[in-house]
Amino acid sequence: MSERKHISPIGQEGLYVLDTASWRTHRPVMDKNTCVECGICLSYCPVNSIIFNDENKYEITYNYCKGCGICAVECPKKSISMVAEGGEDHG
Amino acid sequence: MNYIQTLRTAKDVVTPGMSACQGCGAELILRRVLQLAGQNTIVCVPPGCLGGSGVVGWDYQTGMEIPVHIPLLTNTASYLSGVSRMYQRKGRGDVNIVCVAGDGATADGGFQSLSGAAERNEKILYICYDNEGYMNTGFQRSSTTTLGSHTSTTPLGSVISGKEQQQKYLPLIMSMHNLSYCATASPSHMADMVAKIEKGLAWSKEGFAYIHMFSPCPTGWLYDIDQGIQIARKAVQSNFFPLWEMENRKYRMTYDNKKPISIADFVKDIGKFRDLSEQDLAAIQSMVDDRYEKLKKLSSEADCNE
Ligand code: SF4
Ligand code: SF4
Repeated sequence: MSERKHISPIGQEGLYVLDTASWRTHRPVMDKNTCVECGICLSYCPVNSIIFNDENKYEITYNYCKGCGICAVECPKKSISMVAEGGEDHG
Repeated sequence: MNYIQTLRTAKDVVTPGMSACQGCGAELILRRVLQLAGQNTIVCVPPGCLGGSGVVGWDYQTGMEIPVHIPLLTNTASYLSGVSRMYQRKGRGDVNIVCVAGDGATADGGFQSLSGAAERNEKILYICYDNEGYMNTGFQRSSTTTLGSHTSTTPLGSVISGKEQQQKYLPLIMSMHNLSYCATASPSHMADMVAKIEKGLAWSKEGFAYIHMFSPCPTGWLYDIDQGIQIARKAVQSNFFPLWEMENRKYRMTYDNKKPISIADFVKDIGKFRDLSEQDLAAIQSMVDDRYEKLKKLSSEADCNE
């Protein structure tokens, strides 16, 4: 921090963001064939990792998903399954 | 717009990567409250699980895209009273003044300042996420911890077997402060929760609004990380956590429970109740039945949000 631009320095270095995707041991995978687009999974995801995408579909994103599995338990159609993450790659 | 349409378009102002545990109820509550409050909001998050999870910032980084303060454990409501009054004076009554605090900062250490701000009817929306203990510092008991719960200060042993006292029922105490709005909410009943957050925000422009939320904690309560919503749902279905609201001084049940499940069914998959004695189970059941009856008597009508 060479030069102070703000009265309070908080926020000067932007947003605190933790790589929570690296915690995941299992990843939620959505079966597009059985999903009825109800959005219940989106409403319960604590991380807001499920989005309503540009094609008007619910989609799981993996940048911060912690792999808690709540979406899989709550989906009324059982369209989400938890699949073990393999190796080091947490994409 | 139904609640899912509302949620899928409401921007999340909290950092996407915060260090709340996998399946944390409080993270879900924080994100929903602030999604609905939006960007024209100032929020206080006192020490606790959320305060410790990075959302109040770290070093020179901030944890949110809106102004966020971390007050002390004891002074959240008085801190926000000052913020709220300054914004009124500047003619900026449109700004949402919000707090998201745990049960320790609400029912125990912070109760004096909370009660004072509520009695003065300060224009604040105060959300308590009740995970029944000081989970951030290692699962110590609080005044809202349920009888018989295994915590680090109420262990299982030969002298005691879990917490010896019944929980304090804070929402009803808060409603007796003549609040503008007072409610309970559970993330399992999301439509109801969203409706109450929206009402709480609107009422906070008139005076003090308080919402007490059930916040399941996989790490402290010892259950599988994917079960939080199931447990919250059973808490409501067993009348352990009845859903109601008080508006214009009228109490109303927002979930009319025609066929409650038993407390034995609610506690079954929660590790902190692993060694609950028959007497403790019966005592919780009787406290729950008694509380529900009282709430029903207070309520003039039953009209559900979902
Ligand atoms: S809850 Fe299940 S059915 Fe509904 S949108 Fe999500 S994956 Fe699809
Ligand atoms: S596993 Fe958990 S964090 Fe990941 S999308 Fe599902 S509910 Fe969200």
